[in-house]
Amino acid sequence: MSTAFRTQVVAVVDRDLRRERRRGDVLWVTIPFGAMALFLFPLAIGTDSALLQRIGPGLYWVTVMLFGVLISVGRASVETQAQRDAASLLGLDPAAGYVGRSISAAGLLIIFEVILGVVAIVLYGFDLIGIPWLIATLFIVAIGLGLLGSLAASLVGSSSSGSALVPLLVAPLAVPLLLGATQAYEGLRLGDSILPWMLLMAAVVLVAAIAGVLTARPLQES
Amino acid sequence: MPSEIPNPRWPWVAIGLSAAVAITLAMVSPSDTVQGDLVRIMYVHVPAAWLAYLAFAVTLVCSIGYLFTKNLTWDRLAASSAEIGVYFTGLAIVLGMIWARPTWGVWWTWDARLTLTAIMFFVYIGYLALRKTTDEPRARANRAAVLGIVGAVQIPLVHFSVVWWRTLHQPASILRPDGPAIQDTMMLWALLAGVLAFSVIYLSLMAKRVELHRLNDTLHVAELAADRPVAGASVSSPDLDEGTADV
Repeated sequence: MSTAFRTQVVAVVDRDLRRERRRGDVLWVTIPFGAMALFLFPLAIGTDSALLQRIGPGLYWVTVMLFGVLISVGRASVETQAQRDAASLLGLDPAAGYVGRSISAAGLLIIFEVILGVVAIVLYGFDLIGIPWLIATLFIVAIGLGLLGSLAASLVGSSSSGSALVPLLVAPLAVPLLLGATQAYEGLRLGDSILPWMLLMAAVVLVAAIAGVLTARPLQES
Repeated sequence: MPSEIPNPRWPWVAIGLSAAVAITLAMVSPSDTVQGDLVRIMYVHVPAAWLAYLAFAVTLVCSIGYLFTKNLTWDRLAASSAEIGVYFTGLAIVLGMIWARPTWGVWWTWDARLTLTAIMFFVYIGYLALRKTTDEPRARANRAAVLGIVGAVQIPLVHFSVVWWRTLHQPASILRPDGPAIQDTMMLWALLAGVLAFSVIYLSLMAKRVELHRLNDTLHVAELAADRPVAGASVSSPDLDEGTADV
């Protein structure tokens, strides 16, 4: 990675995080909304503690995936075409823009996952097993969702229907992340190997990263 | 005035002949000893699933072709194939559900093949929705080509899901290393005739859809040309006759 590329990536991450600090979309909207969803599930499916303890991790990951999509595309979806054009004229490498947006989204997703994780543990009462692996899972899912969300946002560009379309594009592609995360927890609970699930998630991250970097320029030019 | 859309007779003849053969063989082939007449759904379900694979694989190849050549014909082929693939995937899912209800006792089960097929369906619904976000042919083609390539990861996942997870859905019946699992020759021919008929339908629909996409692009270019303001159109001469015209 060249110095210029790294500098551009850092600048994009800095810009996105400053924007989040000013707007507070994740902190004041998405996190409370996700916590509300975790609160609503038991009201719909029953408040049996044993049942909630059993299915809690799955509900947590579904919430992370669905609400995480909003975070992963949020950075890119607020950009107007004029802003994109300006960044392009300033010489921003589209690949650096993609990587920067993905990193900032992943950072915010990790915060989202941790806060929601605490809420889920409090509400559902499931145990934390294999903490180093769980932390690795949180990071991989956050990076994967960040990359997929940024890729989908690049695909829809600044179209008016983009914000509605992006979740439809991301959700099916993120299914391996959901499967990997839930099965990894299940494997830890049962004492099975979770390596195949970690590899599955890592493969998604790799494919999304390669696809996003390689297609960043043609997508921007279109 | 001659029609803009060519309407050759060969696709209809080919579809009619192949469908007649396939329907005849499906009707005269024997019932299954376990499934009874329900097995006849397979003569449509399996070809529909095969067509879905073929269609999405063509979308993948044509998406790569477009990104390399930037020739819009590749994009039209990719789009047409995805449209047909979505239709046949939906058909395969619905027919599978109709078959599953009396056989497995449920309309739907969380089998790996079924679940992944449904996800593949949604991925290509997203592909078609993505194409609707812009009318500009180049921008649309660039974006769709990327998703056409990324989305194709689903195809091997769906196909090999019955091998990797060994769930309720039966493994492949024809494309097996040790030869087809179907012992009855008539059943095998009925299935192959169904695949052939569906492939002919696919080719015919492709020819139509590609032509429609080409005409759509031509129309888009014509509309753009018509809407473009003439240089200096915003400058107009004063209306000296205002107020003096007959009412």
